[in-house]
Formats: sequence, C-alpha cells, structure tokens
Amino acid sequence: MKTTIRFNELDRVKDDLEKCIRCGFCASFCPVYRVERDESSLSRGKSRIIKGLLAGELTFSDEMVTILSKCTTCMTCTENCPTNTPIPSLIVAARADKVANKGLSFVNRLIYRQIVPHRKLFGNIVRIASWIQTILFPKSTGGIRHLPFFLSGLGKGRHVPQIAGKFVRQLTSEVNEPSHEKQIKFTVGYFTGCMTDFVFPEIGLHIIRFLTENGVKVIVPRGQGCCGAPVFLGAGDFDTGRKMADANVAAFKGLDYIITDCATCASAMKDYVKYLADTEDRKQEYALFAEKIKDITEFLVDVLKLPSSAYQVSSELKGKRVTWHEPCHLGRHLGVKEQPRKILRSFTDIDYIEMSRADRCCGMGGAFSIYYYDLSKKIAEEKIADIKSTDADIIVTDCPGCQIQLTDTILRHDMPQKVMHIMELFK
Amino acid sequence: MITQKHIDTLKQIVGNNNLLTSHEDLVTYSYDANTLWTSMPDIVVLPNNADQVSGILKLANEYEIPVTPRGGGTNVNGGSIPIKGGIVLSTSRMNRIVEINKTNLNAIVEPGVILQDFNNALAKDGLFFPPDPQSYLGCSMGGVVAENAGGPSCLKYGVTKQYILGLEVVLADGSIVKLGGVTPKNRTGYELAMLFTGSEGTLGIISKICLRVLPLPTSTKSILVAFSDVTVASDTVSDIIANSIIPCRIEFCSGPGWQKVLSPGFTLGDHTLLLIQVDGLPGTVEIEAQQIIDICIANKAADIVLAKTADEEDAFWGLRRQAFAAFAHKSPIRLAGDVCLPRDRMTEFIKKIKEISQKHNVNVGFTGHAGDGNLHPGIPLEKNNDDQLKRARECMDELIDLTLSLGGVISGENGIGLEKQNHLKKAMDPVAFELMKKIKDILDPNHIMNPGKIWEKNDR
Repeated sequence: MKTTIRFNELDRVKDDLEKCIRCGFCASFCPVYRVERDESSLSRGKSRIIKGLLAGELTFSDEMVTILSKCTTCMTCTENCPTNTPIPSLIVAARADKVANKGLSFVNRLIYRQIVPHRKLFGNIVRIASWIQTILFPKSTGGIRHLPFFLSGLGKGRHVPQIAGKFVRQLTSEVNEPSHEKQIKFTVGYFTGCMTDFVFPEIGLHIIRFLTENGVKVIVPRGQGCCGAPVFLGAGDFDTGRKMADANVAAFKGLDYIITDCATCASAMKDYVKYLADTEDRKQEYALFAEKIKDITEFLVDVLKLPSSAYQVSSELKGKRVTWHEPCHLGRHLGVKEQPRKILRSFTDIDYIEMSRADRCCGMGGAFSIYYYDLSKKIAEEKIADIKSTDADIIVTDCPGCQIQLTDTILRHDMPQKVMHIMELFK
Repeated sequence: MITQKHIDTLKQIVGNNNLLTSHEDLVTYSYDANTLWTSMPDIVVLPNNADQVSGILKLANEYEIPVTPRGGGTNVNGGSIPIKGGIVLSTSRMNRIVEINKTNLNAIVEPGVILQDFNNALAKDGLFFPPDPQSYLGCSMGGVVAENAGGPSCLKYGVTKQYILGLEVVLADGSIVKLGGVTPKNRTGYELAMLFTGSEGTLGIISKICLRVLPLPTSTKSILVAFSDVTVASDTVSDIIANSIIPCRIEFCSGPGWQKVLSPGFTLGDHTLLLIQVDGLPGTVEIEAQQIIDICIANKAADIVLAKTADEEDAFWGLRRQAFAAFAHKSPIRLAGDVCLPRDRMTEFIKKIKEISQKHNVNVGFTGHAGDGNLHPGIPLEKNNDDQLKRARECMDELIDLTLSLGGVISGENGIGLEKQNHLKKAMDPVAFELMKKIKDILDPNHIMNPGKIWEKNDR
C-alpha cells in the first residue's frame, strides 16, 4: 500500500533504528514490559513497529498511537542495551511525526496549544482547579487529597497533592540578592517548573534561600513558562514545543547558569537542541542554553563546590533515616548520579541508606501516568519491597513528578514514609 | 485458518486483555532474534495458567490450527517464528516463581519467568541455576527447557537437562500431564520429562517446571590469556582439562575492546584470547588459577592477566558478553552456526575454517564456549545479496560436514528451529529420525504444535 506519510523526525534518527539487533535483553529492564508482558510494550517491539512505519507496512493507527504512548522514556532499555539503541528518542520522533501527519486530538490541542504554553492562563486555570479541589476533593492526609470516584479517568483512588495557595512567582521577588552582602559568586536563573510553581512552592523557596545564603544571586524570570516536556516529548507537538523553548531561552538570557529542581524539566530543556533545533540559529541558541542548565544538586556539588559543613538538615529531621530515589531523568538522562548522594552523605545528622535499585523507574513518566494510571501504579509496585527493606523514614528525590508518584504509592500501601525533595531537607 | 468463531472462543478462554489481533501487535510476534526468518501469526494469545493453555490447545487441535509457542523470543534459530501462521501462544504472563526450597535445592517456576529474574530470586537464598544462555536477560524458563539451553558455565555444570526434576506439560489434545517430580532421584518409568526438554515446542506447552538449583560458589577467579596461534589456544583448553582442572567457563574472545584490559605494552593484534574462570572455595580457586597460569606459560602464552578484583573480573565478562552485540551490530544479517565438537577435535576444526571460508569467498569469524567445544562460526551477510547468501550457506554446509566427520553435532545449544533443518537428516541415525516422527504422531497427531520446525517441512 502506498503511503503519503512524511517522516521528517524519524528520517533524522533512522540510523539509530538499525542499531536494535532484536536480542530482547530489554525484557529484563523495560518497566512497561515487566507489567504488560506483551511484545509491543517492549523496547524491541517498539523498534520493530517504528521500522514498520518507515517501511510503509504500518500507519499511525489508533493502535500505533497507543503503543507509542506506552513508554515512560525512562531510558533503562538504552542504558542496558548491548548496542545502546536509544528507543525513547525513536519513540519521541515517531510521536512528532504522528502529530505532523495527523495532528493532535481536540483535547490535547486545547491543553497543549492553548493552555500550557500560556503561563498566566495556565496559572489561572490551576487556581480555579485548586478551589474545586478544596470544595470537592476529600482530604486524605497532610496536603494530599484523594481523587473522588467521578474522576476515575485520572485513576480511581489516586492521591494528589493539594495545589498551593500561592505560587512560587507570587512568593518571591524577580531578583534575589545574596544575603549578608557577600560577594556575588554567580548570577543564576531559577527555573520553577510547573510542579514546583503550582504545587510545591516551598521547594523553590528553600532553593532561593540556600543559594542566596551561599553567595548566589538568583533571578526568577517572569517570562519563563513550562519546560515543554509534556508537549513535545509526551505529545510530540514539536511546533508548540519550539515556541515554548524560544520563550524559555529568551527569559534566561545573560545568566551564568539556569538552576532546576526537577530532573524532567532540566532534561527536557537540554533536549531542545536534540529535538527542536530546526534552524541554525535555534541550534546555536539551544546548545548554549543546554550548557547552562544545572540540576540543583549538580550546581551545589560541581559548580559551587560547597564544603560538607555547608549541608545541614533542619532540626526536625535530625536522627531520621533517609533513602534516595534516583529519577530516570536525573540519572540516566542527565548523568547526575553521584552529586545528590554526596550531599546526602554530607548530612551528619541523618542516617542515609542506599535503596536497592534506587534508579528503578517509579512509573510516573509525566502524562504517561495520567493516561495509564493503572499501569503506572503497577510499575511503582516494584519499588515497594526495595523501599520497605531500607526501613527509612523519608524517601528523598529530585523530581516533583516522582514525589507525587511515590507519595501516592506510599499512601496506597499505608506505609509510614514521607516523601520529600532533597532541598527540603536543608536547614 | 482462524475464523471469528475461533477468536470468540479464545476470548472466552483467556479474556479480552490476553488476546491480540491488531496488525501492529501481530507484527511484534513475527520475529525472534534470528535475522533470516519472519512470519506473521493470525492471532496471539497470552494465557495466565495451564487451564487456559489447555483450552487453547483443545480448540486448536479440533480445528487443526497451528500453534507456535513463544517464551522470551530470544532464540536465534527461528524456532518461535509462526512459520505456518495460526496462533502464537506466548507464555510471558505465566511468570510466577512458585517456590524456592533451599533445603531440597530445588525451585518451581512457571515458563514465563525470565532467567535473570529467576537467578535474582535464587541469589537472595544464596542459590543459582547454572546453565547460562547468553540471552539470560530476556529468555524465559519455558524456552530454556524447550531449547535445552546451554551457555559458558555448562563446561563444569552441564546443560539444562541436567537440572530438570519435573515438568507439567499441556499436550496438543489439551490434557495436562505431570512428568517427573521434585526429588533429585526418581526412577519411576520412562524419563518422559526429557522428551519435552529440547523439544522446541513441537510436542506440547511446558506449563510448570521443577528445577534442581545449586548453592552459589563463594569465590571465583578469572584469567585472560592471549596466544599468537589459535590452534595453540585450542590445544591449551584440552591441556587444562587433561590436567584434571574443570574451570566453570573457558571462552574464545575477540574484538577491539580487549586491548585496554591486557598488559601495558602488549598489542592484541591477531592474537587469540581465552577467558577462563574457576569457581569454588577461595583456597581451591587460588590453586586452580595458578595451575592454569602455569599451563598457559608452558604453552607459550603471549600475555596472561589475572583479574585482581571483582570489578576487574566483571569487566572481563562484560566484554565477553558484548561480543555477540558487536558482531550483530556490525552484521545486521548473518548466518550463524552452533557446532559442538569433541574437545580433542576442536583444533582440527579451527585449522580448516580459514581454508573453507576462502574456498567460498566469505568471511567466517567465530566465538564460542571453547571449554566444551561449542563454537559459533558466524558469516556476516549483505542485504539483498543472494549470491553471497548462497556461498555462505555452502560454506556453512561444509563446516557442518566437517563437524560431523570429526564426531561433533550440528547444534550444541541453539536448537534446530528453522535455521538448521537442512542439516538434520545427515546428522541423525535414520532410525532415530523416524522414531522422532513416531513420537510426534503419538503426542500431536494433528501436528499443530510448532509446525514446520526441526524435521517438518516449513512451507506455508
């Protein structure tokens, strides 16, 4: 059958597709396959159907779109693949070609093109959602609310955190000078990310306070928006992704570094150059932008090079046993593995214990966990035994998305652990 | 031919979520890890238990629908390709580890358990399942048994059949039969479980497996040795064994990655590498490692490196594991052999590889489990080059004839599947060949189980 489908993105990466030797070793690692246990869930199967697309044997049918969307892009397959086939990158390229050829659904068009890229509108909608949440959602524990049955599309019984009363940008100045009139070591931009901005503003406040106390001038640019991960990586809408990338690049011009507290945001923004650079200008700008992005733990350890004594836990956490969940986007995508552990080992007043397979995907995967909540939950189940065996009081991580997923998992299992961002441990 | 009625019945048996019919899904069950054969199934079923398997086979038997069993689909012989269409029966969702018994040194697993997951679970109790097919990250236990899988460690520990205590099998007519048991000794009638071990899915579906397992060795040592002459390397393998040392693994290694782990100043060039591992108690492995080093020195090894730490040892074996991927990546299509020779005839075989490959104008490289004479000659192929494929097949034919003339076999561990069918007749006693057909007729009279494999014609 003759096809008129254009594969602008897949054509660029088709050499990577040839790397897959169909050995099937990804079966030991792919979190989606380990739950679903059918071949199209496996990285090898996805590689094969993408080949089928390019060969004109398969089309962007509903089944194809479903298969392509069932990947958390955790990169565990690539890390363990004997030929390092980057299946997640191929999947993202295929998602983009799908959108270029067949467009987005009405709902996704509304969300990804009309709401998410427009920060003020997005914020207002989130604000309205928070009122609805307060009125309608039963409160389960602390700041966590329980999704009622009529929202079972988002996952029956899911625990979601309460939307913050005030967002980060409302709680902070645009320019935050170092305290104690110290000499300014660096001037950095702080990327708030949607989750920290709307749900966990206290993480942002911790970061700004700690950095300014250590001689860093922190700018919180008002022109920044969503990193675009759900838009271009998740939904494959590269056109909208470019607009969002351009806005973020412009908002952070002229700064020494761009600091993030969300591994997914950092990884997505570093990926602008890989996926979205369609012109020479964008290529240069995105590459320069990528170089400046630092995860907060990476910045503290590799750039600020603070002494161990700089890391002190807040008094109420003294004596607690703490374990670390390594977000996929931090460890495998950004290669930041040692820095957070170094910080955790530096805290003298906590008992840090490494969890077995700390880098195992929690199943969040951004919008993946909304579309496939049941599957996402089952992937998280694989972490339960590892968490329990640490006997930890607190699980810390460096990605608000993982925080939400782990909190939901812990509460569903009536486990006592608290889930925190690593920066929340700081005094 | 599958009809809507069949599909409806299969849905009733396994449920909607355990049945795949979309073109996209079917494509993902049209291949295994071989590079020359593919074929589409008409439907894929993913049963959860033996009763569901029984229901599927009863239907297939009644309507004579081909059933191709599939585990991890990591096999390289085309064995899990649904060459005659019909049903692919995947056991991937029958993946429970039922029991691990440290006192009895046995374990009961379902066929869909991935070998690596099984060994991870065993390791918590200080145990392991010794056969180590190099597809252990993806292969499943049903496939391990149905292929009678081997691997490097089989030199010391033997192949899968030596670990089978009992099987539960669903026969082609849907009956569920228990064979063998859980005890290490069992002399009750014929060894029927052995019929299904290595049967490549042609006689029934293995639905439960009781295996013998062993305590993990407490210590290991690995030695990397370079020889200037491949035949001296091959002779050294025999010398080690003849000195009453049985390492757990002796492997031929090749590839550029090795240079960095060899002695400073030594250039790998065309040298042949042997990677040798001994395991057991710490004192024993120290002595055996030194004995091996002495033999290698006496045989004028060009370089010898003893791994000093566990990390160094892991790095050596990591490089060995990469060999297949490196070859496969360089040669997306290839003809791969799996011959097994008596150890003392291996050198004769290796000596002739070059001559035979030159005669047919193809490149033959080989890796393999030198310790048990199991070699994997591989011929890289170009896409759409029929002439080259013809020459490669002729070359492989000659290598196989040579193997047989030296008292070897055409497949040590990969099985016959589709890939080695052409060689089977000349490799078996004709009476045994006919006996195989008679056994098939008794167990699967309608020939629904993995049709077109081993000795059956594979035309659709």
